[in-house]
Amino acid sequence: MARQDTLIFGCSALGHEVAMQLSERGIQVYLYSNNLDEVGGLLAKGLQAAVIDYTDDEKLLGIGIGKWVKTIFCLFSEEPKNLFLTLSARALDPDLKIICVAESIESSGRLLAAGATKVIDPYEISGQRVHEMIARPYLVEMLEHTVFGKHIDIAEIEIPDSSVLAGMALSDLELNKKYDLIVLGVVDLELSNQLIFTNSGVDHRLDAGDILVVIGCKQEIERLRQGVSAAGEP
Amino acid sequence: MSFAQKIIKYCYTLEGSSRYKGLKGGVYNLLQNPRAPIRPYFDIFMILLVLLSVWLLIYEVKHDLGLWGDLIEVGAVTIFIIEYLLRFWLYNDSHKVIIERYERAEFINETFRLGPALYSAVIGKLRYMVQPLAIIDLLAIIPSYRPLRFLRIFLLFRLFKLFRYTRSISEFVKVLSEKRIELVTLFIFMAFITFTAATAIFFFEAEHDGGQIDGFFDSVYWALVTMSTVGYGDITPQTTEGRVISLVLIIAGLGVISFFTSIIVSAFGEKIHEIRAHRVFSEVERKHVDTLVCGFGRVGQVVAERLSEDKRSFVVVDPLEENIRLAKQRGYLAVMGNGEDNSLLVSMGIDTRINRLLCLTGDDVVNVYITLIARQMNPDIEIISRANHRENVNKLYRAGASHCVAPYEVFGLIAAEYAGQPVAFEAVYGLLTRQTSEGIEAVRIKRDSSLAGKQMGEIDFLARKLIPFGIIRDGCCDSEIDNSCFNLNERCFYFNPGEQFTLQANDLLVLIGHEYSVVHLRDCLERGEL
Repeated sequence: MARQDTLIFGCSALGHEVAMQLSERGIQVYLYSNNLDEVGGLLAKGLQAAVIDYTDDEKLLGIGIGKWVKTIFCLFSEEPKNLFLTLSARALDPDLKIICVAESIESSGRLLAAGATKVIDPYEISGQRVHEMIARPYLVEMLEHTVFGKHIDIAEIEIPDSSVLAGMALSDLELNKKYDLIVLGVVDLELSNQLIFTNSGVDHRLDAGDILVVIGCKQEIERLRQGVSAAGEP
Repeated sequence: MSFAQKIIKYCYTLEGSSRYKGLKGGVYNLLQNPRAPIRPYFDIFMILLVLLSVWLLIYEVKHDLGLWGDLIEVGAVTIFIIEYLLRFWLYNDSHKVIIERYERAEFINETFRLGPALYSAVIGKLRYMVQPLAIIDLLAIIPSYRPLRFLRIFLLFRLFKLFRYTRSISEFVKVLSEKRIELVTLFIFMAFITFTAATAIFFFEAEHDGGQIDGFFDSVYWALVTMSTVGYGDITPQTTEGRVISLVLIIAGLGVISFFTSIIVSAFGEKIHEIRAHRVFSEVERKHVDTLVCGFGRVGQVVAERLSEDKRSFVVVDPLEENIRLAKQRGYLAVMGNGEDNSLLVSMGIDTRINRLLCLTGDDVVNVYITLIARQMNPDIEIISRANHRENVNKLYRAGASHCVAPYEVFGLIAAEYAGQPVAFEAVYGLLTRQTSEGIEAVRIKRDSSLAGKQMGEIDFLARKLIPFGIIRDGCCDSEIDNSCFNLNERCFYFNPGEQFTLQANDLLVLIGHEYSVVHLRDCLERGEL
């Protein structure tokens, strides 16, 4: 068995969907469930899945939680299961990224208290999307075709040590002229993990280790990635 | 030309006359069409007139009316007569009856005889006259005729005319009429008991020396007063036999009263949802609600909350009582019922008023079904549907949905993005859901705007704390204008327009920025200070 660093618990429709989306992005995942039937269904669809008793810490250690696993998704349809798994996994590894599904505002509060890194409520998001479709139809149509479609990507680009960009101010970059890209902002992990927007008025001076957040076509993003790591002129 | 031929010619003239039809349509709108805008005003006017004339009737008992009172009375009666005649005229088309008879006779090559044709036309009108409401109307008029003054008490029938003009009274009558069989049974039972008790008490008490019962009417009066548990006590049984009869009658009376109460209560219990739904329908009509939300689950609740924040009007339909209660608690218009119910959708006005339908139930079968029937009833309606499974998205589009939202797919997208690049994700998620103050906004370039005709390079967006994201323009894409352009439906999106990109009127300028910055920009554009 290969050592996957992303695991999905819960093999419902939601788990299946996330697994598909991740594999489209080139991330290999392994799915776990305590329900034999669900696992069988996923295996038949060609996904990697296995049965596990998630209440047993030894078993969780056995599949790499607390060792090499970096991200887990708790996608059981019952909230108590997600809560239990979140608590167990958090106890095993304080740095683990735990992403949970929640079906109400109260349950998302409980999951965050149990140690989840991020709680996503699919119904809340869908409701917002429906509202956006009504309130701003053109924008939604545009985003569907670009950001949510396959044309435009959002990427994080870390500035390496030797980059020429280090030391430059955010406003001097003018990346949207040199590349067909929009620089949304920058994250300086030494300050906080909040994004500093390009338009915020704060002219941040870049240094190595900062993360640029850019929007654009895949090729342009790749070109920038190479340009940034190159020691020469970007 | 014989008399019969003259009549037939006249009938055909009426049939072909647009003025006649227009006139009849106008009267129909005034008197009968429940959706006509003039109806509420007419109804209120008639209610006031009825109340005024009844008040005059009461006043007249002890006072002299004077000239003005007489004039009002004459005016009211005139209006009632005109109304009666108009309804009489509106009930059916006599000329059509005659034409139909004539054409049938022609078809089977028989000689047309006027007598039977006129007879069936008169029968048609008579059918109107025997309707309960028509009889009430007539009784409200007749006593005003001097020789029939003794019928004055029938003027009270004017109050019954209110049935025509108020919805709640007619609903009450409708509810009771559905329990007709039970009420008739009760009435027969009651009549039987009253008659038996009255006969028995008459038999024992009328001959008795100190008895208070003089005739059979007295005994019927006593029986009803006792049975209904009213018990005035003006007539009481004096003999032991009479008292025994009273005991039996009192117990039977309790049964009758409780039976009657339970009929009324159950009738309203069964109908209360319908009555409430009717209230909501009329509210929907009055407030010009144009959005229908089917399904008040989690997604429906979020959408409803956002819509009410935007001060948009909408109405919720859900089959679960607790969801409806929740919706009403939050102050939304809500009707309990199934979205699949054709007649419910029609009463909401899916084919007329409603121009946006949201199918947000948790069941894809229901969503597809509602989408399909709504699309058939109204080809222009905008339908946004929820797809709970990936494979159903295509089915929803085929059923006629304008847009689909798949909660699991959106979740997958966001979760996968988060696993890969959490920082970028947080920013974009915030932008898209408008949970942060930074957001993506669109600004329409108006025809006389100062921005029309300007190049992107000329505008200093950064100074206004905005990032230009792109332009949405009607028409097909022209890759010569800008390299990165994407086709939307009938529109084109130019991503990251270069400095030479020239703005045109009617373009949508998509910007990333703080909501205040965008509002400020819009404000500047309105005032032409840019």
